[in-house]
Amino acid sequence: MSRSTRKLLLPGGIVLALVTVLLLAPLLPLHDVRAMDIPNRFAGPSAAHWLGQDEFGRDVLARLIWGGRASLFIAVGSALAAATIGTLLGLLGGYFRGVVEVLTVRAAEVLLCLPPLLLALLVVTILGAGTWPLILALTLLYTPNYARVAYAATLQVRGLDYVTAQRAMGAPPLTILGRTILPNVLPPLLVQMSLVVASAMVIESGLSFLGLGVVPPTPSWGLMIRAARGAMEQAPMLLVWPSLALAGTILTFNLLCDRLQTALDPREVTKGGALWMRRPGRRKTAAARRHGAADDNGPLVEICNLAISVGRTPQIDLVRRAGLTVMPGETVALVGESGSGKTLTSLALLGLLPDQLRVSAGEMRYRTRAGAVLDLAQMDEEAFRALRGPEVSMVFQDAAAALNPVHRVGDQLAEALRAGGLTGERAVQARVVELLRHVGIPEPERRRRAYPHELSGGQRQRAMIALAVANSPRLLVADEPTTALDPTIQAQILDLFRKLKTDTPDMGLIFVTHDLAVVSELADRVVVMYAGEVVETGPVAEVFARPKHPYTAALIASVPEGAADQLRAIPGSVPPPHDMPPGCRFAPRCDHALPQCTSRVPETSHPEASRSSRCIRWKEVC
Amino acid sequence: MFDMGAKPAPLVEARGLARNFPGRQGLLGRVRDVWAVRDVTLALAPGETVGVVGESGCGKSTLGRMMMGFDRPTEGSVSFDGRDLAALSAAERRKLSRRMQMVFQDPFGSLDPRRSIGAQITDGLRIHRLVPPGEIEAELFRLLDQVGLPRSAASRRPHAFSGGQRQRIAVARALSTRPDFIVADEPVSALDVSIQAQVVNLLMDLRRDLDLAMLFISHDLHVVRHLCTRIVVMYLGRVVEEGPAERVFATPAHPYTRALLTATPSLKPRPTGGAPRILPGELPSPANPPSGCPFRTRCPLAEAACAEAVPAARRIEPGWQAACIKAAPEAVA
Repeated sequence: MSRSTRKLLLPGGIVLALVTVLLLAPLLPLHDVRAMDIPNRFAGPSAAHWLGQDEFGRDVLARLIWGGRASLFIAVGSALAAATIGTLLGLLGGYFRGVVEVLTVRAAEVLLCLPPLLLALLVVTILGAGTWPLILALTLLYTPNYARVAYAATLQVRGLDYVTAQRAMGAPPLTILGRTILPNVLPPLLVQMSLVVASAMVIESGLSFLGLGVVPPTPSWGLMIRAARGAMEQAPMLLVWPSLALAGTILTFNLLCDRLQTALDPREVTKGGALWMRRPGRRKTAAARRHGAADDNGPLVEICNLAISVGRTPQIDLVRRAGLTVMPGETVALVGESGSGKTLTSLALLGLLPDQLRVSAGEMRYRTRAGAVLDLAQMDEEAFRALRGPEVSMVFQDAAAALNPVHRVGDQLAEALRAGGLTGERAVQARVVELLRHVGIPEPERRRRAYPHELSGGQRQRAMIALAVANSPRLLVADEPTTALDPTIQAQILDLFRKLKTDTPDMGLIFVTHDLAVVSELADRVVVMYAGEVVETGPVAEVFARPKHPYTAALIASVPEGAADQLRAIPGSVPPPHDMPPGCRFAPRCDHALPQCTSRVPETSHPEASRSSRCIRWKEVC
Repeated sequence: MFDMGAKPAPLVEARGLARNFPGRQGLLGRVRDVWAVRDVTLALAPGETVGVVGESGCGKSTLGRMMMGFDRPTEGSVSFDGRDLAALSAAERRKLSRRMQMVFQDPFGSLDPRRSIGAQITDGLRIHRLVPPGEIEAELFRLLDQVGLPRSAASRRPHAFSGGQRQRIAVARALSTRPDFIVADEPVSALDVSIQAQVVNLLMDLRRDLDLAMLFISHDLHVVRHLCTRIVVMYLGRVVEEGPAERVFATPAHPYTRALLTATPSLKPRPTGGAPRILPGELPSPANPPSGCPFRTRCPLAEAACAEAVPAARRIEPGWQAACIKAAPEAVA
């Protein structure tokens, strides 16, 4: 049983128990709900009357259970009726649009113009008080809600590719509606259901309270609340029981529908965590150590043996034994397929790992401008905050998502500059314009007043880069900065990176990408990652000309650039993190794998001083 | 438009195709014409793979949807096997859908997350009653084998598969009705390189084995070059160059094709000249296209004459033409 199904047990159990008790009411040894016992009115709980007696001396427990029958029947009945009719109207209107939409959704919406309670009053006044008129009134009341929710969800789903694919398949419209669209619009409808049941119970109680719903002496929770209110001062507990029953039932239904929605979702549900709940860093202090002046020419960043993990028991390593070195002014490309851990490694450098993940081993030594060497793996959020901007900075793949849509581009840049310590409005604005010009945005004086959505994709990426380099970082991490761009715009942005490298010769650049061709255009050194491990490193030209790891070789052969008629596809796919093969992680997909490849983890070999390969057969295979 | 003499009769033919998405600027603004596709004439013979390349916003996806009959062209017509798609009734169009299928770009959006793979692949078989009910399972296994997926995949739902596997499922679904014509809209763009090669190889095998006509829409020139026999280059809704893939890639005749080729990064080291090969500016808005040649605002060769009229297609060789007054084959450095 999955976790989401297990979570259904509690609310499901309560609802089941409730419904059983209500259904079995005629069989239970309850007092007659109408049997009056005036001498004992307002008597407290006793062995015969567990919850006491009301203003006519009737048994409260019996009335509560029988009243629940009426209340629940009305609420659930009208919610189901409204759900069926409303969903049907919404589906038809949303899928066919045009005239059908007017006849279904828009027609139902007319009902929304009437105040809900007045509408219910109107129906009940015309048809007279009672259970069935009440159900009709409530159904009328809630149908437009369902129609609207179903309509909106249908509009969303009908444009999706899998619906188009069904149409392409020649499926008749009603089949598409029932088989493809309905299951996919169900989740919001379930939420609506829980809200409607709850709200119907409240309105039923309200109408009964006004004397327009269930007719006394038939009990209902609304009637009981009404009666108890009159006697509130003599017997306050009489008000508590029906109110508790009402509130408890409503909450249970809400919970049930919420959990049902989760259980029906085919994907695994991941839980998010708020920022303030973020686990503090492994150690509180920024373990800064000063090294001697001897290694002033040392690397800017040196990652050794890095592991990034999720969970504690069992701990799953998403990245392990990763290592890379960036010298000042060097461009290192981090290449790999999705799931290779390249993005996680780069995020770890900025302390931006998702909440569930943590650096579980290894060191990330970073040399600051002042010459101090920090281990980024030991730092907490506060220490990182001081580092981000002037020391390390990041360019994200999706500039549209990374820029704040409600602030002007210039204001976002100015904010970054002020955070970096620049003061004086005039100086800040001058620097904003300078930065925008530097990244090649035309008319920077005017464009700084633009909102991100007013810029084209290429210009947004330029603005994003301006933001990243605003405080002249010493290490720039760019995560797939050109992947979403068109070829001619990608060429422009790559050129911008080249210009940045020339203008700031000391800045280290880590360029994360899956595109080998981009690597050869820009990078000095390349680090190839596979399934969370670094498999090969070396200077770009050498690695591409003579790869020393079968994975790198296969990756190069799978690029459709050569004259080969058949591309060399790597069979299978990257193994999931919880199911990594033993030994070499590439062995199951490798053409050269030997039995010993799977028996132990290959050591790193150094074919040349500047290169490394994690393959035991690098001499023979490449 | 191109030489028909040597070719068999076209299976799919688009004539003077155009699609307008009128839009309003601001609340009170006038309604403006936004032409996503303009004046496209294109024909596909059985067994032919035509690549449509261009940057986002050039109208290549809209063209694909019109060729499938999903979008009604504002002007012009698409005919399949001699029958005009716009003239068909809904039922006739549904019947025809057995013969034309589509593979979408996003393998995560093109499969229904709530239904099993097997049910989704066999939908077409049931709808068009292609095989008797008793043989549906055998046919499903044959399709799964064909795209290289294990038979155990049939009962699982899409979320259990990786991107490449999903795309192969989508291909299996498209193949289930034994179509004659497939529109593949960026089918490998969302995939990793090694997985991309799996799908490209699969498409090549299918083309060879099944004699499919395929419209392959992509922005990746390397993939198109590898897969396609003929190529159509689009810019701002218009076809700027069309011709045999090998010829066009080796010596493009239109300056935009040349710019696109040089902008595409390559594994092979190239002379680090840098600056001149980069095309300046961005795609103009289709709501407000430049007068005359749509490419003239970014074209390194543009002159006054380019602004006067939309250049007509000039024939370079039989079956190869470019819409540029200076069109001439020229090798790319």
